[in-house]
Amino acid sequence: MKSYLLAFKKLSLLAILATTFLACVKDVDINQKDDIVLSPAADVDLVIYQLDENDFKDSLTGALKTVISDTVRLEFLDDDYIQKDLTSVELFFKHKNTFPREIESKIRFLSERNQEQFSKNYTISAGAHNNPKTIERTKLIENDSIQLVRRSIKMVVELEVQPNGSTFEGELDFASRGLFRFDFK
Amino acid sequence: MIRLVCCLISIVIIKSAFAQDKPLLYNVDDLPQTLMTNPGAQINFTGHIGLPFFSQIHLSAGSTGVTLHDIFRDDGSNINMRIRQAMQKMDNTDYFSVNQQLEVLSLGWKLDRKNYLSMGIYQELDLFSYFPKDPAILVNEGNSNYLDENFYFDDLSLTAEIMTVYHLGINHKFDKRLTVGARAKLYSSIFNVESTGNTGRFITRTTPNGRNYYKHEIDNLDVLVNTAGFAPLKEKDSMTVEKATAELLSRSFFGGNVGFGLDLGFSYIVDEQFIVSGSVQDVGAVFQRSEVENYRYFGSYKTSGIEPLFPENGSKPYWDEFEDEVNENLQDETTNESYSTWRPVKANLGIQFGFGAAFLPCNYLTVKKVRYMNLIGMQLNGVRRPKGFVTRFTTYWDRKINEKHRLKVGYSIDDYSFTNIGLMYTTTFKKFNIYLAVNNLLAFPNLAKANNASLQLGMQFVFNREN
Repeated sequence: MKSYLLAFKKLSLLAILATTFLACVKDVDINQKDDIVLSPAADVDLVIYQLDENDFKDSLTGALKTVISDTVRLEFLDDDYIQKDLTSVELFFKHKNTFPREIESKIRFLSERNQEQFSKNYTISAGAHNNPKTIERTKLIENDSIQLVRRSIKMVVELEVQPNGSTFEGELDFASRGLFRFDFK
Repeated sequence: MIRLVCCLISIVIIKSAFAQDKPLLYNVDDLPQTLMTNPGAQINFTGHIGLPFFSQIHLSAGSTGVTLHDIFRDDGSNINMRIRQAMQKMDNTDYFSVNQQLEVLSLGWKLDRKNYLSMGIYQELDLFSYFPKDPAILVNEGNSNYLDENFYFDDLSLTAEIMTVYHLGINHKFDKRLTVGARAKLYSSIFNVESTGNTGRFITRTTPNGRNYYKHEIDNLDVLVNTAGFAPLKEKDSMTVEKATAELLSRSFFGGNVGFGLDLGFSYIVDEQFIVSGSVQDVGAVFQRSEVENYRYFGSYKTSGIEPLFPENGSKPYWDEFEDEVNENLQDETTNESYSTWRPVKANLGIQFGFGAAFLPCNYLTVKKVRYMNLIGMQLNGVRRPKGFVTRFTTYWDRKINEKHRLKVGYSIDDYSFTNIGLMYTTTFKKFNIYLAVNNLLAFPNLAKANNASLQLGMQFVFNREN
């Protein structure tokens, strides 16, 4: 019996030693877990279009419509990760124009109630069939302005053809993308 | 002999990627636990009964690519930067592993001159996950810095299981030199998650001559996560960790899915001093049939953005159409199809050389009545994991200090470390035996810097009628 007690005693000692060994975790600060942030930057295509002179014609009269527009809902802007974790957005717009006229481009972001939150307006220079004009613009929204993105849900693209008397034939290509940065805590 | 050593070393060099978690308990002839790693081992006892729940407590955890110190070191640098660096440094063959075993019951006795019967019950938790490098980088950093680079979903590969194992084994002395053994196992799986063999890739291609800046492509996605025993846990709204643990424990005894397995082993006395041994463990499968849920995500899709058409009357629901198109091409489904999981098969191969003869009470199963105070040996252990075998090569010196005390020092090379020194100590007072084995001893002063550590601890009664 005495031997068994001695064995138990030794085992306890070994267990304590093992536990002591296991407790030796040094030079680390586990509280830093609270500082861990996932910071992905998502680069995504947004809206594209490719228009020719037919897209600017009135289907009934065949007359030139100098202003055309369309609206695309970007439902993902209402998602949780945008509403809570978005830190900045950089938008990139690119037009390539072979129409021999200047075209005013208005890109507007609206709320559900159609209130404009922010916009990017610029003139697309006149191009030619063999000499397309390319224009690129960016829009950076960060810090407190990010609320503007969070309130947006619609992207309105509007084009206004400027008069100059030349024949209205050609193509207008549009490309856009957004670089969305997040901090997930 | 030299050929055998060369062969062992070659295998280690070719497959330096595996680890057995209890190398120090292999070929310890006076510990009943040696029969759990090789049912055909040479043994030096005629009966044993373990203290319920205390005959073996085994814990093992490891990570091949990163340590706690790599992430949480207290040097004033930014932890998120350290995480990024660690993720870049790691590869998709790096892995995290946790294995825990608790012997509930363990007993055995000598049937006759040739046979030793052993049986018992143990509970096991086994978690093994490869580092899902591509998905992890995509989530942590996004695609912006990785344009034109593939993110492979093949990197997602993990298995996790909690089970109770009922086993019955026989150790049979075939002839004067050869001892063979087998152990039948009945698995009662309490919880299983498995996601292996996934495919698919995501890429953001730059398209200078395309219609938009990029083309986003998900190609041949097929990710399947099989679960058993998980559905009831997530269905209860009020489920807490405590309640989930209680729920799992309530299934410990025949409460889950059933499987069968086999351990086989041998030891062969080449000559008076040399013994060669080998074994395979857990050759078997579990048939997951109840409380099964399978989650599958599959399909292919490409997009360059949403295209407005400038219609004359109003606008179109472009987003809804886009969502419908995505949902049509990238689908997810939840099913309840039974599946089978193979147990992680373990293989062991060892040679042992004895010297320093001692005329201690003999090994009743061996012909040679000589035992040795010193044993040196080499062993190769491997565990089969989803992407191949993980191996460990160990050399050891096993020193019998006297009749009561035995010490074993091992040096292992594995995926975790080239400086893995292990220590096992076992002592027997009368018939009461206790043992403690610790691997990667050098790392214990600061486990934060260790890639792995494991420990086995137990106590039991071991009988030897020759004593």
